[in-house]
Amino acid sequence: MSSLPFWATVLTFALVIGMAALLLNVEAGWGGMWDLGIAGQVAVGAYAYALLSGAPDATVPGLGLPFWAGMLGAGAITALVALLIGWPTLRLRGEYFLITTFAFAEIIRQVIVIQRGLTGGTFGITRIQRPLAEYFVPSAYPFVLLGLAAVATALVYLICHRVSSSTYGLTLRAARDNEPLARSMGKAVDRVRIATYSFVGGVIGLLVAPVYVWFLGALVPSTFSSHLTFLIWTGLVIGGIGSRVGGLIGATVLVVVSEAVRLIDVDPEHASRLAAFQPFLVGVLLIVLLRWRPAGLLSERGAFDRPAPSPRPRASADPAREAVSA
Amino acid sequence: MQNIVFGLITGSLLAVATAGFALLRNTERFLHIAHGQFIALGAFLGVVLTAQVGLLLGALVTIAVVAGLGALCGAVLFDPVKAQGGNVLLFTSIGLAWVIYALLIAGFGTQVRIFEVSLGRGRDLGPISVAPGELVILAVAALVILGLWLLLNRTGLGRSIRAVASNRELAQVRGVPVVMVTRVVWALSSGLAALAGILLGILGTVTTELGWSNILLVLAAAVLGGTGNILGVIAASLVLGVVMDASALVIDTAYRPVVAFVILIVVLVLRPEGLFSVARRREMVA
Repeated sequence: MSSLPFWATVLTFALVIGMAALLLNVEAGWGGMWDLGIAGQVAVGAYAYALLSGAPDATVPGLGLPFWAGMLGAGAITALVALLIGWPTLRLRGEYFLITTFAFAEIIRQVIVIQRGLTGGTFGITRIQRPLAEYFVPSAYPFVLLGLAAVATALVYLICHRVSSSTYGLTLRAARDNEPLARSMGKAVDRVRIATYSFVGGVIGLLVAPVYVWFLGALVPSTFSSHLTFLIWTGLVIGGIGSRVGGLIGATVLVVVSEAVRLIDVDPEHASRLAAFQPFLVGVLLIVLLRWRPAGLLSERGAFDRPAPSPRPRASADPAREAVSA
Repeated sequence: MQNIVFGLITGSLLAVATAGFALLRNTERFLHIAHGQFIALGAFLGVVLTAQVGLLLGALVTIAVVAGLGALCGAVLFDPVKAQGGNVLLFTSIGLAWVIYALLIAGFGTQVRIFEVSLGRGRDLGPISVAPGELVILAVAALVILGLWLLLNRTGLGRSIRAVASNRELAQVRGVPVVMVTRVVWALSSGLAALAGILLGILGTVTTELGWSNILLVLAAAVLGGTGNILGVIAASLVLGVVMDASALVIDTAYRPVVAFVILIVVLVLRPEGLFSVARRREMVA
């Protein structure tokens, strides 16, 4: 079972969660918008892609568009949905933003379950168009998919990197750290926030959700429960909120470790114990990391400090040391 | 009419589930996501114990055990990270929720369990029909809520809890035993969660998803009720219960939870201080 295609599949999943964690970092890490509804956006993107690119004669009829058109459409639809969700919720701060995004994600999932005619309900969508599938033998496809996921991840990383070094990214972080100051400097904080929220939604729909759909091969609503949100969040917390690549590394560590456990051979009697391992690991990692290493493996300070001979002392922390170094 | 009675039962169970959550939110200032898993834990322990030693004793032992566990978790997991603020507490609570959820799956498996308790046959009372067991559940929920209200408003312990909730530092300076009060709040909150789990389990079924499916409703009721007053939470729970069950008359029953969340979002956007609080609620620092 521990064959190469298996690990290619595990890595693909790790990249999907990693991409989502990188985008969540733009929104939550730099923007301070603690979004507990990211699974809802992945769900919108995934269903939009599956329905746009699905065959018109399938049980759940799609529009039959080519896969790239499906991706573009999914990106546009998810960005629009994020805009609609962001418009009311971004007025709320802190825990209220958290609760409303959580509730919106649950509403999206319930609507997918209820709108059977459009989405297949709990039976889901089983015929998924995978790109380039006709050129390869099925046994080689996991590697093709890994390659596609790697390309998508590289794109997401470049986008996030570009954001982090732009004035736009600086504004985002400034608004998080000191909103009145950012406003007084003439920054349109509200517009930057909603643009970010919608933009993150768009990239999720364009890249994350389609790759996830190809990886899954079939869509059911239960995939997009809060479990997915918390998995992405845990990846980000492990890697380090605010750092540039932390989310990707954290998600990879989390997914590879928790999938590796499935390789252990057990009799069916103990299968449920094994199924419990992933949530157990996610929970323990969250608790332990927040207690002993709340900054994660890679911290924001590490990501944004300029290379200097010694770490900069905090301005007000130790005046004596400042005087010495000056 | 029938739906309103069902709504009252749903609402009073939600009130029991939310009261503990709100108590903890007011004193410790964070959203205790793992509260849902304490509900599920109470339901599972309840099923197992009541089958062994009978309903009353089993329920009491379950509540005591879960209350003790809650106090322990508060002391071991949450007190050390309290200084880092509400979001770290929140994510620690999410972590704890996962751990309990995993242990429930590992310990009890994923098959559905039911309490071996009969609610009795439905009796017609005018236009409505209720089973005696449902009335007992309603009465238990009402008594517990009344007891909690008396505890908070008529006893010295209750005054200490309210003092810690409104201003922890001031309470400490004035000689309120803050640590002891915190332990009591954790135990009370978890015990209430266990009771809610048992009642929910008796009325429906017990599955490992019980916690996740209830925590959003609890969040909704707690936020709608506003902070500061347990009566607001109770009123909000009853309103949510009645509206959810009454909505079944107009639209598909599958939309029941969606209705609750839509109410939550609309209220948060239009009136962020909650439905029933007069004073504007303090904004929690992110």
